[in-house]
This record gives sequence, structure tokens and C-alpha cells, in this order.
Amino acid sequence: MNPLDAAVSAAAALLRAGASLVRLALRTPAGRIGLPLVVLHMVLALFGETLAPYPPTEFHIEDHQLEGPSLQFPFGTDQFGRDVLSRVMSGATSLITVAGAGALLGIVLGTVVGMSSGYKGGRTDEVVMRIMDALMSFPSLLIALLVLTSLGPNPINIAGTIGVVFIAPVARVMRSSTLAVKSLEFVDAARLRGEPNVYIIFREILPNTLPVLAVEASVRFSYSILLVASLGFLGLGVQPPSSDWGLMISESRIFITGAPWVALAPAGAVASLVIGINLLADGIKQARELPKREA
Amino acid sequence: MATTITATLETTATRTADADQPLLKVDGLSVTFFTPTGAVHAVRDASFEIKRGEVVGLVGESGCGKSTMAYAIMGYLPGEPEVGGAVYLDGQNMAELGPAELRALRGNRIAMVYQHPALALNPTMRIGPQIEEVIKVHLDLNAVQVTERAMELIESVGLPDPERIAQSYAHQLSGGQQQRIVIAMALACDPDLLLMDEPTTGLDVTTEATILDLVADLKGRVNAGILYVSHNLGVVARVADRVVVMYAGQTVEEAPVRNLFKDPRHPYTVGLLSCVPKPVADEGAVTRLQSIQGSVFPSTQADPGMCLFADRCPMATDRCTGEAPAPVSLGGAHETRCFYPGEVSPDLWDESVEREAPHENGKEPTLTVKGLHRVYGQWQRKYLFFGPKVKPPVRAVENVDFNVGAGRTVGIVGESGSGKSTVARSIVGLVPRDSGDLELRGEDLPAETDERNAGQKASIRMVFQNPTSSLNPKLPVRHNILRPLQKFTDMSAKEREERACELLESVGLDASYMDRQPLQLSGGQQQRVALAAAFAGDPDLIVADEPVSALDVSVQAQVLNLLEDHQRENGTSYVFISHDLGVVRYVSDEIVVLYAGHVAEAGPTEDVLSTPSHPYTEALLSAAPVPDPDAIPTPIRLSGSVPKQHEQFKGCFFASRCPRKLGDVCDNTPPPMQTSPGSPTHEIHCHIPLEELARLQDNSVTTPA
Amino acid sequence: MTRFLVRRISLIVVTLLVVSAAIFAITEILPGDVAQMVMGQGATEQNLKHIRETLGLDRPAPVRYLDWIGGVLRGDMGDSFVQKIPVTQVVAPRLANSLILAGFAFLVAVPSAVAIGVWMGVRQGSKTDHAVSVGSLVAISLPEFVTGVLLIIVFSSFLGWLPSSSAILPGTSPLTRPLILVLPTLTLTGVLFAYIMRMTRANVIEVLNADFVRTAVLKGLPLRRVLIRHVVPNAMLPTISVIAVNMGWMLGGLIIVENVFAYPGLGQLLLTSINTRDVPLLQTLALIIAGTYALSNLVADLSYGALDPRIRLT
Repeated sequence: MNPLDAAVSAAAALLRAGASLVRLALRTPAGRIGLPLVVLHMVLALFGETLAPYPPTEFHIEDHQLEGPSLQFPFGTDQFGRDVLSRVMSGATSLITVAGAGALLGIVLGTVVGMSSGYKGGRTDEVVMRIMDALMSFPSLLIALLVLTSLGPNPINIAGTIGVVFIAPVARVMRSSTLAVKSLEFVDAARLRGEPNVYIIFREILPNTLPVLAVEASVRFSYSILLVASLGFLGLGVQPPSSDWGLMISESRIFITGAPWVALAPAGAVASLVIGINLLADGIKQARELPKREA
Repeated sequence: MATTITATLETTATRTADADQPLLKVDGLSVTFFTPTGAVHAVRDASFEIKRGEVVGLVGESGCGKSTMAYAIMGYLPGEPEVGGAVYLDGQNMAELGPAELRALRGNRIAMVYQHPALALNPTMRIGPQIEEVIKVHLDLNAVQVTERAMELIESVGLPDPERIAQSYAHQLSGGQQQRIVIAMALACDPDLLLMDEPTTGLDVTTEATILDLVADLKGRVNAGILYVSHNLGVVARVADRVVVMYAGQTVEEAPVRNLFKDPRHPYTVGLLSCVPKPVADEGAVTRLQSIQGSVFPSTQADPGMCLFADRCPMATDRCTGEAPAPVSLGGAHETRCFYPGEVSPDLWDESVEREAPHENGKEPTLTVKGLHRVYGQWQRKYLFFGPKVKPPVRAVENVDFNVGAGRTVGIVGESGSGKSTVARSIVGLVPRDSGDLELRGEDLPAETDERNAGQKASIRMVFQNPTSSLNPKLPVRHNILRPLQKFTDMSAKEREERACELLESVGLDASYMDRQPLQLSGGQQQRVALAAAFAGDPDLIVADEPVSALDVSVQAQVLNLLEDHQRENGTSYVFISHDLGVVRYVSDEIVVLYAGHVAEAGPTEDVLSTPSHPYTEALLSAAPVPDPDAIPTPIRLSGSVPKQHEQFKGCFFASRCPRKLGDVCDNTPPPMQTSPGSPTHEIHCHIPLEELARLQDNSVTTPA
Repeated sequence: MTRFLVRRISLIVVTLLVVSAAIFAITEILPGDVAQMVMGQGATEQNLKHIRETLGLDRPAPVRYLDWIGGVLRGDMGDSFVQKIPVTQVVAPRLANSLILAGFAFLVAVPSAVAIGVWMGVRQGSKTDHAVSVGSLVAISLPEFVTGVLLIIVFSSFLGWLPSSSAILPGTSPLTRPLILVLPTLTLTGVLFAYIMRMTRANVIEVLNADFVRTAVLKGLPLRRVLIRHVVPNAMLPTISVIAVNMGWMLGGLIIVENVFAYPGLGQLLLTSINTRDVPLLQTLALIIAGTYALSNLVADLSYGALDPRIRLT
């Protein structure tokens, strides 16, 4: 099999797995609400800026400052007379990319650390888990704040920091799942065949931990979005003039009594995205459990 | 005070109505569960009766609906199943009872004993209150009387020091003690009907025997009907007065216990009986174990209007596949659901294939185990790294020696905590040993599998207890067989594929199984795939750790026979580990009896199983249930439980429970190894001289209980 | 018991040592050194050198770390770069304010979450259960700054019932103006409540399926007794560690909530110290937060051990 074929077949397998997850999700009400929300945000992330009625940074200072919702500006305008709808639409891209990249990094690293440590066991495991405990005794937001203050808030640093912060929780979950699978006899059988550890971890154990990993991944993705949005709120997200939902809310606080729409639109955007992911994940989880719930 | 209690109990006991009426009548009961994947017909058509004071055994294999039936009688079924037929308690249709009436009945007139006592008891509540709450709910007694009654109950199930027990939590008791507590709880209100759902499954044989004694004792003491549900024919033979056999949700045969075992009239019952390894018939031809081919009629399928056993029955005719048989009475309370009860003969399944003598070759042993020693963990100290030593490491095995000759089978028997699995895992290298030597055909074997070379790995393969977890559920059968071929041979991909198909065929599965997922296979099929995988590297030695204990009796024989055939054809040596003396006796040339990590006795099978034996072997033999109601139970019982794994032995490892303990010498001096003059390889580790042992044991066998 | 305590406490000491080293590393060794942080981007080389000398930054990092840790152990956290007074004096009143806020949130969230979680677990699959499930899912999906802003819009802008800012004069206690605590407490409670409620519900459902609950039902006990004596005590055990983990979480939430409402607590101080590059203050705050988390885990372990007879504290 040449690399191209392998890549194509791997991609096809991923697509099939994704499609079956979608079908699974659509079997529950939670999934039926969550999926469209997630799809909507994905579309925004890809085409938000193109679809937006105005350029997000276009000022209408003279005539349209802090204007309420109207036909011209459905979600109103902000303190510089920028269209809130356009700013919200174009804010999805950076948030979802940065949060997604961070979550993915954390999941990959955490899975490798957790599974290796759990499989290896003994002293190594003890030491690795102590380090993870130490990492986890900081709220993620605090670590992110400290690191980003030192390194400066650019998308790569944000994603990298989230990745590092997520190693510990993902590693913990994957470790305990690995321990459970490791106690099954087929792992002993593989050892007796003389399979190398890497083969046992990734070929024999990993497929059996996928359900756990899928749940953990969706949890991480939604946390990651919460975290990036919170960092934006604290001024450590994507830097102006690009739009950032967290920052929009932060800036709107000064005139919140007079112009609540400036805060409401991005608040709704963050909320619907995270709610969508959580509902979708919940739907998939429920649907998986359905056939098992027999007598 | 005690008199008032007894008085209250008498009033509750005298509420019986009619003497003629059966206590419990199950009439055409069916239970269908509805799951998202379809209907499951757990019970299809079950009818039987229980009278006061009798024990009815309900036997059948996994999935036959026997447990569902017990819970259906209790009116406790998960979900909202469709229930057909009726259950009458003293003539009262249970379905007509309201929730409050049902609650008043449960724990009071009908009580239940469960399969896993450790799970059936609340882990965070002391034992006393758990027993007391039943009494409080159902009987009108004051607080003092309730406590008194609870103490009485604990004592009545043979537990000494009831006050201490009442103060304990479930995890502080042994499995046998836990089950006694569950029984005490069930007896709390002097029930009319006692349902026991596999109460000894999961307990050690010697513990099981004492619980069975308790059940027999109850029969005489309480005026209740007892339904004893079990998969184990031997257990049922020991306790039941009448036996009901279930298959695929139907009751297929019902008879008084002696009739059922001596003159079975349903082909399935006959089949079941011929699947159990029996004690060697005196000097007679040793016949191969039988198995029932095919698999149970699936519970997901609706009633097909035919005999559900027809597919697997050797005497099935067109009538059997075209029409559903109804139970017919044969007189003498014997009923069978078969069209041809007269033609059912005990050798229906027995083609009396004589077992071919195992070929014995080479004097050089395949495996030598010398002084194997293994402990887990280290001494723990009071302040982590300092302070006095407070807890010794866990002992697993100490000083185990034995040899496995080429083409021979060594059976290792022992109960939980005996160290038998540690021995198995040390041999294959999954558990490193602390000291001792292993030699494979005279060559030193490194301790851990990772240190062994490919040849050594290929030479020693393992078969595990649980076939479902020994095959990776996410990878197809193909993977499990091709992978060892890839590791252990230098075949080309095509050759491997061919060889894999051959291996599958050698275990009775065709090539189409290659692409199945393990979870689509039955337990027996999974274990056969595991065998094929073990055979893949042409090993010299296979270590089989309880290979049939997770399987139903009707398929056990398939696996045992496959192992035997492979050995005869290839001269492979086996180390066969089991808690089941019957199975070990059937497969082994030599036996090692382990207790608490020590060898109690070892030697050729027949020598070990006949007198003189180590007192522990004697107790094991005496405890093992035999599927023969006429078997005279020998009264050797072990009290207490296996020593804690942290305990260190000063004298004999068995001294704390030995029924033949001599005295201080057993407590203070490790037992010497004695070999019998007639058989130099037969060793017994005991202080009692062999002649004395033989005399004691011959006497106790000849005096029937 | 002794062994357990020794083990747990030594673990905490190790964890805190690792944590302190991490804090030190992040604030001192990462690019953009402390002098740079203090002076900002426009500093000249000479300024930087001067700062380094006065702060003792020219000594090697390990020496400074040991110096710092030694100080911490003696209760000397150093002086704030900005306010030029001992860090302990800066932190103490803020710590009290944060504890008040966190305490309120905890008192509101935990008992109600546990009670409703048990109720929903028992009524699993009912309409109420579905509604509460969806509601709690929404609650855990909302970041604190969104909840906070929404609450401000509703209760301050729209209804005008509560103040939108919780700022108070330095030196006064928030307890003198209890109204300002309502919205921050509610915000902080949201996620905490939803999460603990969901976990409690899941634990109750799991215990309801346990064999010993079946035993209790088949003893003929009334449902109430089955729940109170058998289900709830066993479902509470895993819930305890969930609560402990949430303590740590709440500390993160404090940073956001205090900034949304301008509440003078640790979280706000933390952000100030970051913005003003007040390194000793920042290090102290980070250490306090990590220490609190470790402590709440210890408390959880101890209470778990006390409540679960199966766990021998050895």
C-alpha cells in the first residue's frame, strides 16, 4: 500500500466514522439540536467573514454609534459604529481554529502521556502522575494567564498553552482507561507474542479506549472554547482590531446599561457554540448507551 | 424475652392455608423483555410446583432463563417486560397483588439469596442493621427483640461471635461468611419460600461444601419450600429433592432427583450429564467427554413452533422440527418435553469413544520448575519510609517444584489464593519470579517474557480463562491468529493465511470465521479461536489457566477434547490450571495440589487422588460436588478461610484449618516432604506419617455419614 | 491512619514543591525576563541592568528559587514591586474577600446541587429530569463572563434590582453591603451547581443499579428507606471527590467573576499583578491558589476515607 492510498483510505475511514457518529447523534433530541448548532458555527468559521454584511472593521462613527438593532444593522452597532453582526460572524474563525488546535494538541499529547504511563506502570507511572497532579492543581486559566503574559498572546502561543494545560486532565482519563483495558487478557496475549510496547498501546489498547477518548475530546473542545473566550475577555485573546467574542463582551461592559445588544450578540454566539458541542456530545453518548440498556 | 420472639414467629408461620395446595405454582410462565434491538424471550414456557419443606433444583446453562424465573417469582423484573402465564403463592395469583402487598410479601414470606454475596450486601452499612431492617419492616417487634432476633439468625447460619459479625462491614467477611449473612437475612422472617440464585457460584469448593451443608440443614429446620437455582449438576444432586431442567426458556424435564440423574428422559438432560467429567469409573474404559454441538436457540427469536432443542438433538425427527412438544407425564412425578421419551437412553450422546492412550515420549522434561518463589510488594512501614515494619509483602508462591514431561499434562489445583495463577504467569513470564529456576528442555528460561528470545516465546504459549477478554474485541479473529504466525514463523503472507485457515479448521471452525469479530462468537467459539492462536507457533508447552471455567458444561468438552487431540498429535506438554478437581482429574497425568502458595501434594493423578492424601487434598475431594445423588458425602469440611495473604507461616501452611492437625508441631515446624514407597514421585507435605494418614482416611471413607 | 496521613501530606509537599518550581520557572525563566516584565517593552538596557541588580536578578535562577522558597517557608513572601509593602499585607484583605465570595457560592451550590441531583437520579427519565438535564447542560456551557454579563443585563440594567458593580472601598468588608455579593455568587454558583448536580445524578443512577439496592428492595423495604439508607450514602462517596475537584475549578472562576463585577478579591488582584508585572505578588497568589486546591483534595480524601469503611487509611 503506498502512502497516498493509505492516506486516502485513512481519510475515508475517518469520514465513515464521522458519518456514523452523526447518524448516531441524530437518534437523540440532544443530538438533533446540537448538530445544527455545531454545523452553523463551522460554516461561520469557514465563511463568516465572507458572508458578513459589512467588513467587521468598517467604522460608521458619525451616524451609527451604539445604535440598537435595526434592519440595516440586525444586532445593532458598537461604540465605533461597527456592525455587531458582522463582528460576531467574523469572530468565529479565530476562536474555533485556536481552540480546536489547542484542544487537539492537548488530546494527542495527553493520550500519549496517559496511555504510556498507564501501560508502563510502576515507578514511572507514579512520577508522571505526580507531575500531572501538580499541573492539575492550577486552574487552567491561571496557567494560561501566566504563560501568555510572559510569551505574549498570539494564536500559536494560545493554542500551545491550551495544549500543554490539557495534557494533565486528558492523560488522567486515558491512563485510567488504559489501566482498565490493560488488565484484560488480550494484552497479556500480545505481550506473550513479543509485540513491542508501542504496538500494544496503539494497536491493541487504543481502539478499546476510543469511546472514552471521544467523550473526553468533546469535553476538551468545549472547555478549550470556554478558555479561549475567557482569555479574550481578559484581553489575552486575539488582538484587536480582529474581532474576538470575549473581548467584545469585555469592552461592552462600560455601556451595558444603554446598549446591551453589543454584549448580547457575542454572548449568544459563545453560548450557542459551547451548548451545541455539549449537546452533540451528550447525544452521541446517549445514543451509544441505548442498545446497551437491555435487561 | 426469647419466648415472645418465638411466639411471634410461630404466628407468622401458621398462616399457611391448605396442606394439599402446592406452596408455589408456576404455570406456563413467559417473560419477554423489550430492548431497543428487539424482543428477548428470556422465559418462554415454564411450569413447575414447589411444596412446603422440599428443595427444588432448577438447572440449566447460561441464558436459559433460570435466574429470570427466580426474579419473576419475586415480581422483580427490570424494565416493563411482557409476562404471560401465572405464579401462584398459596393459591394467590401474584400478578394481582398491589405494590404494597407485594412489598409486604418480599423479605417476609418470599426471600431470596443471591449469586454474588459481596455485591448483595451494602458496602457502607454494618451487617447488624442490614439484618435488623428486614425484621423491623415485617415483624412487630421492639428494638431489643429485633437485635436479639438478628443475633439468633447470625448464630443459626453457623457464624460464631454474632456481636462481632453484626459490627462488621461486608468487606471484612470472607465470601462464605457473606453468603451466610445473606442467608440469615433471607431467613429473618421465617419465609415460606426461599429462592436461592446460584448461591455458591464464585465460592471456593471447600466453602461451597459448607454452604451446601447449611442448605441441607435448613431443609430440616424451616418449614419452607426452597428453589435452588444452579448451573452445576453436582450441586443440585447434593441438595435437591426434585429437579427441573430448563433449556432456552422452557422447562424441559422435571423429576425427583434420583430419577433425573439415573433415568433422564430428555435428550438435553442426558447430554448435560455426559458433559461432566465423572470420577474415573473403576477400572472401566475411559470414555471421551461429550459435548452438545451447536448453540442454544437464540432468545431473540420468537417461538418457531418446533422443539427448541431439535437443532442439536441426535434423535430429532421431522416431527420435532414441525411441531412443538408439550410436557408429557411419565408417572412418578416425572415429566419431559419430548416426543420420544421412551427412546431416550443414557448413552444417547455416548458413542463410547474410548480415550486413546496419551503417547508418552522423551524422558527429558519439557519444563522444569525448581524452587519457584514470588511475593508481591514490600514490607510496609508505619511512617512510609521509617518506623517499625507493619505489614509484610503479599505471599504468592513459595518453593514450588515440578516437572512437565514431553507430551504430558500436569494439572495444578487449588482454591483462590493458592498461587496457581502466579505459577502459570511465572512460567510464561508475565510475572517475574523472585527466586527459583525455570528450564525449558534443560535450558535456562529468563524470568520475564521480554527477556526471552523468539524461540522461547513460540515454545511456551498460554490459554486464558476468559475467552471474551483474551481476544481483542476491536480486532477480527484473523488478527489473533495471523499475528502469532507472523511473529513466530517466517512464512509468507500467503502461507500464513493458509496456515491460519488450517488452524481454525483444526479447532472446528471454518475459514469464514477469519473475518468475524470476537464479540459475534459464542464463548466456546472464542475459546477455540484462542486455542488456534495458542497452537500457532507449534509450541512445546501450553499453559492453560482455567481454560474451561468460564464456559458452559455443554461446550467445555469441545475445548478439553481439542487440547487432548492436539497433544496426542503433536506431543505438546500442558500445564493445566483449574479449581475444578473433576476437570483436572480428567485431563492430567500428574497433579500438583497448591494451598496458600505451597505445594501440599504432588504426584501421578491416581496416586494423589487415592489414599494416603494430604489432609487438604482429602478435604477438596470430599467437597467437590458430584452429579450423582447417591454419592455419599464424606464429612470432611474445612472451617475458617484461607489464611490472609500477608500472614507468615511459622509451621505448616495448612495448620489453621487442618481437620487432622496433630498439635503444636503443626503450628511451629514446617512439614517434611514424605514420598510414598510405592510411588517415588508422589510427595506429601505433612507431619502425619503416611501409613497413619492412609489408615485415618480409609476409615473415614468406609464409614458412611 | 498514620501511614495514610504521612503519605498524603508528603505527596502534598512534593506537589507544592513542583508547583512552586513551575510558578517560579514560568515567571522568571521564560523569555521576557522579570526585568523586562517590570519595565515593559520600552526599557533601555541600562534601566534593565539597574532593575536586575536592585531586585537581585543577576544571581543564578536556582539560588533565587531557593531564596524565594526559604522566604515562603518563613512566611516572608517578599515585597510587592508596585506597592512596596510586604506581599502578605496586600494579599490578606483580598483573600478574606475571595473566601467570602467562594464560601457563599459553595454554600448555595453544593447542598442544592446534591439534593436536586439525588432527586433527578431517582426520577431518571421523567419530564422534570429531562428539563433539569438540559438546563444544567446549558449552565455548564456558559462561561462565567457570559453568565455574569447576562445577569447584569437582567437584574441591573433591566430590572434595576441589584448593583452591576461589586466594587467597594479598600478597607471595608463586602459583608457590610450584602447586595453586591448576590450577582457574583449567582454567577459562580451556575457552573458549580450544574456540574455537581450532574455528577450526583449519575452516581445515584449507578448505585440504583447496584445489587445491594436490589437486595434492599427485595427485603420488602419501603422506597424511602431504600433511598435514604442504601442509595444516598453510597452515591455520596464519589460525589465528594467531584466537589473537591470543583473547588479548584471555582478558583479559576473567581478570576473571571471578580473581574466582571470589579470585586476586590484575589482574582482581581491576580490580574492586576499580571498587568503591573508585580512578580512577588503574582508568585504568592499562584501558590495560594495551588495550595488551596491541594488542601481541598486532602480534605476530600480524608472524608472519603472516613465515610467509606472499605478504605482503610493505611
